[in-house]
Amino acid sequence: MSVDLDVKDVTVRFGGIVAVNEASVYAKGARITGLIGPNGAGKTTFFNACTGRNRPESGTVHLGEDRLDGHGTANRAHRGLGRTFQRMELFESLSVAENVRAGPTAYFSSFRLLGPLYARAKESKEIERRAGEAMERCGIGHLARKTVVDLSTGQRRLVELARAIATPFKFLLLDEPASGLDAAETHNFGRVLTDHVAESGVGILLVEHDMSLVSEICERIYVLDFGRIIYEGTTKDAMNSELVRSAYLGEAIVA
Amino acid sequence: MTEFLVFLPSGVKIGAIYALVALGLVLTYKTSGIFNFAHGGVAAVSAYLFYELHIRQGWHWAPAFLVSLIIVGVFGGLLMERLAALLSSAPTVMVVVATVGLLVFLQSLMTAIYGPANIFLKSYLPTSTLFTLGKFRVTTEDLAVTGFSLGAAIGLYLFFERTRIGKSTTAVVDDPNLLSLQATNPSMVRRLSWIIGSSFAAISGMFLAPLLGVSVNTLILLVIAAYGAAALGRFENLLLTVIGAMIIGVMVAYLPIQFAKLSTNVLVQNLPGNTPFLLLFLVFLVAPTRLLTERGVSNARRLRPIRTYSRPVTYGGFALLGAALLLVPAVVPNAEMTQYASTLGYFIVFASLGMLVWMSGQISLCQMAFAAVGAATAGHMLAYGLSWPLALVVAGAVAIPVGALVSIPAIRFGGIYVAIATFGFAIVMQQVGYYTPILFGQDQRIDVPRPVIFGIHFTQVVPFYYLSLAVAVLAAAVVLAVRASRLGGLLRAMSDSPTALAAHGAKTTLIKVVVFCISASLAALGGVVISGVPQNASGALTGPFSVTVSLVMVAVLGFAGRRPIASPLLAAVLFQLIRIYPPFDSALFLKYEGVIFGALAMFVAVYPSLDIRGAIARLGSAGGRDQDTAGGPVRARLESRPVKPVVIRTAPAAPQAELVGSGKGASQ
Repeated sequence: MSVDLDVKDVTVRFGGIVAVNEASVYAKGARITGLIGPNGAGKTTFFNACTGRNRPESGTVHLGEDRLDGHGTANRAHRGLGRTFQRMELFESLSVAENVRAGPTAYFSSFRLLGPLYARAKESKEIERRAGEAMERCGIGHLARKTVVDLSTGQRRLVELARAIATPFKFLLLDEPASGLDAAETHNFGRVLTDHVAESGVGILLVEHDMSLVSEICERIYVLDFGRIIYEGTTKDAMNSELVRSAYLGEAIVA
Repeated sequence: MTEFLVFLPSGVKIGAIYALVALGLVLTYKTSGIFNFAHGGVAAVSAYLFYELHIRQGWHWAPAFLVSLIIVGVFGGLLMERLAALLSSAPTVMVVVATVGLLVFLQSLMTAIYGPANIFLKSYLPTSTLFTLGKFRVTTEDLAVTGFSLGAAIGLYLFFERTRIGKSTTAVVDDPNLLSLQATNPSMVRRLSWIIGSSFAAISGMFLAPLLGVSVNTLILLVIAAYGAAALGRFENLLLTVIGAMIIGVMVAYLPIQFAKLSTNVLVQNLPGNTPFLLLFLVFLVAPTRLLTERGVSNARRLRPIRTYSRPVTYGGFALLGAALLLVPAVVPNAEMTQYASTLGYFIVFASLGMLVWMSGQISLCQMAFAAVGAATAGHMLAYGLSWPLALVVAGAVAIPVGALVSIPAIRFGGIYVAIATFGFAIVMQQVGYYTPILFGQDQRIDVPRPVIFGIHFTQVVPFYYLSLAVAVLAAAVVLAVRASRLGGLLRAMSDSPTALAAHGAKTTLIKVVVFCISASLAALGGVVISGVPQNASGALTGPFSVTVSLVMVAVLGFAGRRPIASPLLAAVLFQLIRIYPPFDSALFLKYEGVIFGALAMFVAVYPSLDIRGAIARLGSAGGRDQDTAGGPVRARLESRPVKPVVIRTAPAAPQAELVGSGKGASQ
């Protein structure tokens, strides 16, 4: 059931600047893979290239056997590649429950020509079930009726995550999902992710600055700097690598 | 070929004037992200002012020209820059509401002062033949107009492509964060570009006056030629815009003569005049998505969601409203009932427009063209012997593919391009479409008789009012059903974050097309009701289906609120009903109605940026004006949003090992 994400030799250029330079990442299904690197290293650009938000100059994106590059964002999501955003993209005027339901609703609406117009009974049931489970898992069930603008950053992050895991994606790209969370929230967040991966078989590629979270839940890590993958290996080895540490030391001074 | 050469100089001259209009449009859009639908109105105002000074006051043409240029170009440009600054963070629909409001304001004001008729103006520049080159005959006027326009175009091109300040101006439109980091102050350049843009419009208005006459309606419609040229330049490239304008100018000068030889049919004769629109559509059809990007939307504020009421309140309100509408014939004299019936017709069109604008964030400037399609279709169907309810259904159905045809090419590029395409469509329908036999035909008139159904004579006014009410209730039910359906949910989500919706698989373009088609279909139903009041329909400029009416309706809806049913009803009452009651039935109000509607629309669009409470508070406190309010909204947003430190790295392609070390040094 679980599928791997295989991104090969992706290069993204903005004018004369190379934002991502022949980056390749292989992230296994049913596992959490980390993608770390200092600000401006090209992590979000890399995600955007995977989901079709920008146009890479070269490179391929495969989800299992399915080749995704060449398709638009919605089409890639329709084929099973989901994501969250560094700058949160919530439906601000909707309630928490409506936000979470909107994910699978958007997904199911893409399977029929008249899908956007009305829901089939079976779909509605499935959407309700998935949204309920996702909110439960993320511990936001008690907020269901609240409008998302009224929530704290940590709660908003959870809503965005719940929306993504309520949608029947095969693979998820999470862009700094724990930024703005305190230590306890972050720990809790990590548990939600590991549980979801273990139960659903969905693979996750995680961009995150909180190294304690990364080392806790990621099996493998890729390090991106100046648009290049400069390191790839197990999390444990990465923590001991001089190269990785100096890249992060640089980050610490910049910030 | 020889004939073509004879028309070449005048074609080039017209092309050069179009280039001026188009350059002003593209320039201001490029530097401020505001697409100015009132651009043709600015040209018209200067033409009238020139006419006033030169003809009515008897001034020599040169000072009249100069004074008009200074008033409309410089002062008008400065005012436009203020308006644009207030709109810089407004959502696309409100920007369109504001500039359309301004257009309605100017158009109504000019009509109120000078009347709707076309005023003839003699050539004021010397028309003596300067030289002949074989078949060419070039006059001083030709040379002056062409030379000035081309010179201006080249100068602008050099400024924006070659100078640092010119290049930096266009960059800040899409990222206000960059504004705070700029070493040069781009607001100066923006002010300058609005002055240049308005001046070019003013000059083109005065250049065109002797060719076309002084007429606000002609000049507003003419701006579509500039849209065609601007589209060829992708609303961005100044050089391509000029080339596009030249091509259009030559086609517009040469083709009508050729087409006139083919046939005396109005349709055939008017067609070549609309080549700019066809080019505009062609660009929308073939251009790849990345080539036409909507400017300035990344910084747009979202509209605050409307307040929702509990079910008992909502249903109670609808019940009261329904009862009141049912009782209208009991209290209103029969003579006034036709006005009530047509108000219901306009309510349907307003409801269709409101659904499109407030639920999907798109705007249509051709809603009455869809209504015309409905009215004409119903007329034809009734003539074929179809029953009235069936004719109504067919009218609604026919509008669906028409809506798809108009929206599909433009929708993928974003909201402002839908507005541009629908404006173009409204104009081409007015000039060509309405003359086709499938609409109103050469006579510009078609009968839409009221029916007799099950022995009830809807031919009488009170029964017809109830029939109109039934159709209005049906339309309201459709709007509410869309709101409550999955489509409504997706639309609400889309207005908050199209990015997130697409990231979950939703086909946002399909969703937008679907809602556009539903809206077009509802507008067609409205058209059937509206034409049922006089029992005929016509495409005349003064009729209900003209471009002007579509524009005024957008302005009225803009300030009538964003509720799905109550706001369209209020809009319809303001637009159609109040004029039969004092004090609104006075000649003065009727004359300046459009001026008021346009001004209100502008006010509502800029209101969120005005910070009126803050201004009152500042008035109260001593010290007066201690704050620099220039660029207010942008600055306010910058302060409310943390600006990320921008990490600039100097050597992205250098070897990795060194980069890790040098990166921090270069980062600050």
